[in-house]
Amino acid sequence: MRARLFHLWCLVCTCCLILTLGGIVFYLVSQSLPYLNGALFFGDTPVWDAISGKTRVWGALWPACVGTFSVTIIALLIALLPGIATGIWLAEFPRSRFSTGLGLAIDVLAGTPSVLMGLFGFTMILFLREHIAPAANHSLLLSASCLAILILPYLASTTRTAMQSVPLSLRISTHALGMNHWQRIWYVLLPRSTKGILSGIMLSFGRAAEDTAVIMLTGAVASAGLPSSLLARYEALPFSIFYYSAQYQTKGELGLAFGASVTLMCLTATTFAITGMVYQQSLSPHHD
Amino acid sequence: MILRSSHIISLGLCLSLCSTFITSCQQQQSTTSSSEGKAELGTFEGQSGSINIAGGTAHIPVMQKAAKAIMASHPDIQITIAGGGSGVGAQQAGKGLVDIGNTGRPLKEKELALGLVSHPFAIDGVAIIIHPDNPVGELSSQQVASIYAGTTTNWKDLGGADQAIHLFTRDEASGTRSVFVKKLLKQGTVAQHANVTASNGAMKTAIAGDPGAIGYCSIGYINEMVKAPKLDGIEPSNANCVSGEYPVMRKLYMNTKGNPEGLAKTFIDFICSKEASTYIEASGYIPLHAGN
Amino acid sequence: MQETDSILPAASRIPHLCLLGLVIPVFVLIALLFGFLFWFSLPVFYSGGNSIFSGEWQPEQGHFGIIPMIKGSMLLAVLTLCLSFPAAVGISGFCLLHPKHRITSLVHGMVRFMTGIPTVVYGLAALMLLVPLLRTWFTQSSGFGLLACLLALSLLTLPVMIMILENQLRESLNQHQLTGTSLGMSRSEILTHIIIPCAPQAFASAIVLGFGRAVGDTMLPLMLAGNAPQNPESLFDSIRTLTAHIGLVLSTEHGSATYNSLFASGFMLLAISVSLTVITRKLERSYQRRHPQASSSAQP
Repeated sequence: MRARLFHLWCLVCTCCLILTLGGIVFYLVSQSLPYLNGALFFGDTPVWDAISGKTRVWGALWPACVGTFSVTIIALLIALLPGIATGIWLAEFPRSRFSTGLGLAIDVLAGTPSVLMGLFGFTMILFLREHIAPAANHSLLLSASCLAILILPYLASTTRTAMQSVPLSLRISTHALGMNHWQRIWYVLLPRSTKGILSGIMLSFGRAAEDTAVIMLTGAVASAGLPSSLLARYEALPFSIFYYSAQYQTKGELGLAFGASVTLMCLTATTFAITGMVYQQSLSPHHD
Repeated sequence: MILRSSHIISLGLCLSLCSTFITSCQQQQSTTSSSEGKAELGTFEGQSGSINIAGGTAHIPVMQKAAKAIMASHPDIQITIAGGGSGVGAQQAGKGLVDIGNTGRPLKEKELALGLVSHPFAIDGVAIIIHPDNPVGELSSQQVASIYAGTTTNWKDLGGADQAIHLFTRDEASGTRSVFVKKLLKQGTVAQHANVTASNGAMKTAIAGDPGAIGYCSIGYINEMVKAPKLDGIEPSNANCVSGEYPVMRKLYMNTKGNPEGLAKTFIDFICSKEASTYIEASGYIPLHAGN
Repeated sequence: MQETDSILPAASRIPHLCLLGLVIPVFVLIALLFGFLFWFSLPVFYSGGNSIFSGEWQPEQGHFGIIPMIKGSMLLAVLTLCLSFPAAVGISGFCLLHPKHRITSLVHGMVRFMTGIPTVVYGLAALMLLVPLLRTWFTQSSGFGLLACLLALSLLTLPVMIMILENQLRESLNQHQLTGTSLGMSRSEILTHIIIPCAPQAFASAIVLGFGRAVGDTMLPLMLAGNAPQNPESLFDSIRTLTAHIGLVLSTEHGSATYNSLFASGFMLLAISVSLTVITRKLERSYQRRHPQASSSAQP
């Protein structure tokens, strides 16, 4: 009886999930379809002038797309090496007191709400202005640094997992070959976990691209045009969705919100799908 | 197998997006942008750099119109505009995070102590707004106060339909809120259950979607999406604000840390000049300098 | 491994230092992050402590209590879990019961897809679909409020819980399936009578992770919960969470009570998330003790 009821519950939940999610995606796509055209991205600016940055684009998504891309890429560039290094460290030197502390710190960081990173960036810049660099300001660089802190634990933990899932037999063979620790990491462990690390990078890319709370507090603004430098304020897709959905004044502005949401969803869904593919491939040879 | 369906979903989405993108690029080639009004913007000639603006959300339409005109003719000038509310404007200008911080209220003592200098440029009122389908056409100050104190809870008591009143107010950083509370509620309380919106635009959008809602926003934002009932028999309009009939009025300020210099000065002079009054009027406000 | 750590040959020292050079800044940065938040919230507890932890938020009257926000955050997270946890159990149960079914692979794909949907997109969809619907159904409320927010949030917390549950339950299902089948039990009977009663730890991990997601999210409460700083009494009440409070009052005059409340909220959030992490680690350890062969990849 209990098993039957449970089975029924499973069916109901699954149907609900499929219907809800299908409904939401259908709604978003159908609402944004009338707006999915060049005007959504470039407004009434000629396309090549907009792309080359010759003319500023108004009331369209091109600056936000560029802003999101640049802030995400810069965040990745900042976080990439330290993140992977932390992962290697945690996987290969797990037993010292420093490593335990580091592991705990990474775990705590992974569970920290993103708005706190934003708050950190915000107070940090005030602190810097008062005491160290009076020219520091809310900017692309600040947002990217805060996003880098946000994605660090993802990079570290995927790298650690990938390194740890290298089979023991392989590790033993490296010992038998007389390799030292670094030769083992460099020639065997790292190449074997490339795919796992790659999937971690994609995952962090997706996380950095979708987060709104951090950039909202550290430099994303409603209207800025293409980001002119690292130290300039910028527009970003998630922030545009938030901004226009709360205060659209015309149907067109609401269309911008829907268009931006579908664009962003495509971006993150594609990265996550590729992540899944890479991750799956990274697992399969070891399980054979 | 796990991946197949997610792949198909996202790839489908991406393909459709790409194809619309490409086809529309070709359409776009034919359209051209027009640039007019170059002659008025002579003072920006030869200048370059960036201006960061943040603060009062009532100011955004004016700033955007002006920035659009300036940047169309002077591509070397970058102007960024953010909202946030008057508190943001005062704080960020005081900290030097932005060049110009807008406020929809006079500066407070503490803010003046940061060395801020105010540049008023327009007159604006704060009006009660309700959904256009709401039959209520007039409210008294006492009624508004009792609505916001949470004692009147149904439109029935105000001559409307039998419908619960949904209260909307603004966030703590808002100048519109402080003017509203000071001049209309006379420092009365705002009920705790009032929903909070973060900008004039968000307030208007929220009210426009809810037949039982009541809120308040800058008069410049009022259009056919919402209805502004008379207050004590007086039509809330910026003309009535200027004549002094409508009491809930304020000036819109731009604030700079110390006296403005360089590009920020040019920008402020431009906003306060006769040429920019068209942008101010088009946004629904009354310019202070041109003709008044 | 351990032996080589202590006595590194000279050739290994340079890469070791390089790695350490990258890792130490990470550690310093994290320490800096928490130190900063802690440092800035300390004065709040020294000076305006009484005011900050009072139960009322009325800035015009000089009351700056963040208790309503703490209550709001907690209530929202608990109610979200009440909805999404049973659903997650059901969905992961379906995937375990029909491992080869076409719908299972569809569900897997959807869960993956859901982890990729940005929070603001959920917010937008709920704002345009859910809020007007709630407004017409329940005329007492404006649509914004606890209910709208918890519905959207439960969608957000689902994927992480489904993944955890499915991974951990599958491990024990594989262990016990042969025994169960030999006793003549069906797959669903094995699941309900053996696996689920034996896996309180899997459920606990899912709940803790889901709770963390629900407490930590900023955009959905900001967009949907109405943000009224009151003590919530019914499902339709508008609430303000700690995260939304930070987003809303970030920029007020430096040093004012409003500004201080920001750091008090940040500190509360930090305290919550740290304790959740500690619990998660404990649970993970006990899981690994029970399933020594399972890899540590259970965490998504």
